[in-house]
Amino acid sequence: MNDRNNTLDWFMLVMRRDLILSFRRSATYLTPLIFFLIVVTFFPLALGPSQSLLSSLAAGIIWISALLSSLLAVEGIFSEDYQDGTMDQYFISTEPVFVLIFAKVLCHWLVCGAPIILASIISSLFLYLPSGVLFALIESLLMGTFFMSLLGALGAALALGRSAILSAIIVLPFSIPTLLMGTAIMTAAINQQDYSGFLSIMGAMLAIGIPGLCLLTVEAIKLNYE
Amino acid sequence: MGSPPFFYRWSTTFSPWLALLAVIVFSAGLFWGIGFAPTDYKQGDVYRIIYIHVPSAILAESIYVLMAVCGFISMVWRAKIAGMLITSAAPIGAGFTLIALVTGSIWGQFTWGTWWVWDARLTSTLILFFLYSAIIGLHSSIENKAKADRAVSILAVLGVVIVPIIKKSVDWWQTLHQSSTFTLTSSPSMSPDMYQPLFVCVLGFSFLFIFMLTNSLRGEIIFRERDKLWVKNQFFGQER
Repeated sequence: MNDRNNTLDWFMLVMRRDLILSFRRSATYLTPLIFFLIVVTFFPLALGPSQSLLSSLAAGIIWISALLSSLLAVEGIFSEDYQDGTMDQYFISTEPVFVLIFAKVLCHWLVCGAPIILASIISSLFLYLPSGVLFALIESLLMGTFFMSLLGALGAALALGRSAILSAIIVLPFSIPTLLMGTAIMTAAINQQDYSGFLSIMGAMLAIGIPGLCLLTVEAIKLNYE
Repeated sequence: MGSPPFFYRWSTTFSPWLALLAVIVFSAGLFWGIGFAPTDYKQGDVYRIIYIHVPSAILAESIYVLMAVCGFISMVWRAKIAGMLITSAAPIGAGFTLIALVTGSIWGQFTWGTWWVWDARLTSTLILFFLYSAIIGLHSSIENKAKADRAVSILAVLGVVIVPIIKKSVDWWQTLHQSSTFTLTSSPSMSPDMYQPLFVCVLGFSFLFIFMLTNSLRGEIIFRERDKLWVKNQFFGQER
């Protein structure tokens, strides 16, 4: 086991374990996907099938649905590891725990976020999203859902062993800057303006969020060991 | 200051004076603003709600910053009293935010002709209210109060990114709400007759907040340390 003593190896180890566990259970990647599609379907049912109305609302609807489903998906990310003692091993491992937490979140995003982005391409047809902005949608969702996974992980850590709605209440107010940036990107893209500035702000948020939120998440998990 | 017994004893002598000061400045500001400040030539007497609206809005944001600072202190140095301070400040801050929202909404009905506008500033104050609610909700859901303090301080530190957004939002997406009247760098754009009472009101509200915070913190300290010897000596000292 001597080759398993640097942080990158640990990172890969956690990633591989989580990926295998996720793919053995189809619920982990199918549930958020189906939840997303159901929420998207509800909007035309509630607002009426008018094509012009849906077309103008499409970007917002897709963003809200993606936000909610990636948030709900990440809600139980730590509970199993905490219960079966895997989390204890992370803390005993002498490796920086936030790197391992980041591996978990990244893996979770690969498994849950990527299907949501694929589903958003399909639902852009359902909702008559103006053509030509699909690339902007994918770009903004790529970063947005990842940021939501990071935030949701913090919420899940704070509400570990408590109700899911508590974790949603904690996280949703904090996700508003992401939502605003995402919709700003979409509005700019629909008006055929340059949206690279908003994309950069979102990237900056992600760059601060990855180390910052992972560190806070570790702090939050530690609370359960006192 | 950091030790709960010391703070408790110190504030016992300090608190009545603070109450007196708060009542005097608070009522002086309100009397001056509502009774004697000149009537606005455009808005009439409705504008006088500013003497409640602006101090509450300023406090709503400042209390959050205070909580974030305390959150940082409680995370880094594990100071017990910093965590208790967050717990005591959160409901007060939520109250001021609610007052700012309600008075602003009434004011908006009279001047803009609508109760609510999805303007950046109004929206971000509403979000601030949600942040306070999240903190109160998380704190009440954790049984162990010392643990709850630390969980909440993580949230307070994270939320501090939202306060600059609120401050800047007026300049970024100015729509209906006017920009800030008070700045530290330049003289106010209001007439002196109007902003002087407003300044007194801000001071009065702040003193009121400090008094309320001290009182609620004292209660929190006694509740948390109810099993400690010093609390027993404080209240039942003579009987032993």
